[in-house]
Amino acid sequence: MFIGAFLIPLFPHFYRQIYMLLLVILSALALFSVEGTHFVIQLKNINFILHQSDSLSFPFAIVFHIAAFIIIIYGSHIKDWKEQLAIMSYAGASIAALHAGDLFTLFLWWEATAFTSVILIFCGNTLRAYRSAFRYIIIQVGSGILLLSGAILLFQSNDEAIFQQLDINSTPGLLIFIAFGIKAAFPFLNGWLQDSYPEASEVGTVALSSFTTKLAIYALARSFAGVEVLIYIGALMTFFPIFFAVIENDLRRVLAFSLNNQLGFMVVAIGIGTELAINGAVAHAFAHIIYKGLLFMSMGAVLYRVGTCKASELGGLFKYMPITAVCSIVGAVSISAFPLFSGFVAKSLIMSSLGYEGLTLIYFMLLFASAGVLHHSGIKIPFFAFFAHNSGLKPKEAPINMIAAMLISSLLCILIGIFPSLFYQILPYNTYYQPYDFSHVVSQLQLLMFAVFAFICLWHFKIYPPELNSTVLNSDWFYRVLFYRIINFFVNKVFNIWDNLSFNIMTLIKFLFLKIQNSSIQSGNSAVKVGRSTVLILFSLGFVLVCNYLLF
Amino acid sequence: MSIFKRFVKSFGIPNSIALLICIILLLLEFAGDRHGETKYEDFIFFPAFFGFISCIVIFKVGVALRSVFMRDEDYYDK
Repeated sequence: MFIGAFLIPLFPHFYRQIYMLLLVILSALALFSVEGTHFVIQLKNINFILHQSDSLSFPFAIVFHIAAFIIIIYGSHIKDWKEQLAIMSYAGASIAALHAGDLFTLFLWWEATAFTSVILIFCGNTLRAYRSAFRYIIIQVGSGILLLSGAILLFQSNDEAIFQQLDINSTPGLLIFIAFGIKAAFPFLNGWLQDSYPEASEVGTVALSSFTTKLAIYALARSFAGVEVLIYIGALMTFFPIFFAVIENDLRRVLAFSLNNQLGFMVVAIGIGTELAINGAVAHAFAHIIYKGLLFMSMGAVLYRVGTCKASELGGLFKYMPITAVCSIVGAVSISAFPLFSGFVAKSLIMSSLGYEGLTLIYFMLLFASAGVLHHSGIKIPFFAFFAHNSGLKPKEAPINMIAAMLISSLLCILIGIFPSLFYQILPYNTYYQPYDFSHVVSQLQLLMFAVFAFICLWHFKIYPPELNSTVLNSDWFYRVLFYRIINFFVNKVFNIWDNLSFNIMTLIKFLFLKIQNSSIQSGNSAVKVGRSTVLILFSLGFVLVCNYLLF
Repeated sequence: MSIFKRFVKSFGIPNSIALLICIILLLLEFAGDRHGETKYEDFIFFPAFFGFISCIVIFKVGVALRSVFMRDEDYYDK
């Protein structure tokens, strides 16, 4: 698929769409025919395992193909082949990374996802997007360098760098853990996600939300399942983005915060590491790619028609974009984990795993986060875009291709929610789990409906403040502002020191000049003495000039 | 006009439906043996209480954090 993507420019617009869909279908069919380890290339002492498929990579590969298929339909109105090439090569690189059998191969595809995805941010075609793309690529490449360093250290000690369970207490393990953590948007390493994703085009953001972070979740599940610290990292990830999402005005950025929060659920499940929990992480990643993509698509459709995604400027669009609104609501109830929707059958696995392991505090943190998800993604997204107040905007309904893509995603959200046993069959472990029992359903409905009711009260009694045009500070502030200020401070200090030094030298030269002049006058204006003084002054000035040249 | 109708008129039909669903869900608590993943969840109406309070807390903390994390729209462009 990655190689096939580079033939995209050869096709005219219509045939290009068909070609891309065929590429995805062929690649998906290959998943069912190729299993196990294949395509091992030996270069010097290193074995590059290009294809390794097992029960963990399989569900990720399936959902990556589904996402790619839906994104192609959603973006089929794009005339620019460059963006479509980026989407296809990005999806191809992500799928190839899933099948990497060793860490060096993983590194190559890891960086390929970075370089293909950054094009999507550039395709945002704004100054903010360009700047954001540069920050994005530095961080993504940094993650790759850490991964490569870890792989090299591992190879030096073991003579192999197989992509398998790693020891976090070893140096290579820790380096690789941080590399995965950057792409999984761990706390304080997450700034790039909210910075870059909303800057891409309406199609680019959907693609970005589908692959990179879920590839990192897959990598964590393969290499660090059962590592306890992930439980706490994941719990923090579910907890903090809620508050940022609540105050954020840009609805696509709200979804980026929400994405971070959802990744937290998966990271917690990987940290628990039991069969049920790993199933939960994979199920959640699977369902999440579809419903998060759906939410991003609905906001993308709004952006495409209206030109903005700011809550403060939207409202009342239900009348003009009813299909988009309904699809957005399906995405919203799915992410909120209402019964009969995909989020419920996936998230229940994780919550039950926590209950079985007796992790009560983490359980309640995630329960609190579930109410938070409802607040910012379940209510805020559809409510402020399609209801709230009348913004005066009268856009047309989304284009037919966008509607088709959103309807497919909506259908998948509902089908997964209604037939969980079919969905559970593709998960890595064969464990029995029944999400639909009286306790689960009633508890979940009570939690969600009373959170909805709380929002209704806040809105109805006008306690909820209006959305404001603003920027919400995030962890990217550290390198966008604090780092800049620190560098600025030190540069200013050095310049001040040099200014003082120059001033003192000049004062000294003036003093010497006056001394020489006075002594010359006293000795009767001897021509020889004046000449010596002139030479001394010239040398002094020359010295200062050379110093200035070297320093500046 | 009955109190019920006046309430629906002032609170809004969609909001009243949501309230009605909430009441039904509370009544469902007595229709079967609801139990949670932890023993704390077994308390009567616990999920309802937790959901309501969580939403209020998230709102309150979110509003409080506006003064800490919220800046002008062109903050990074200056």
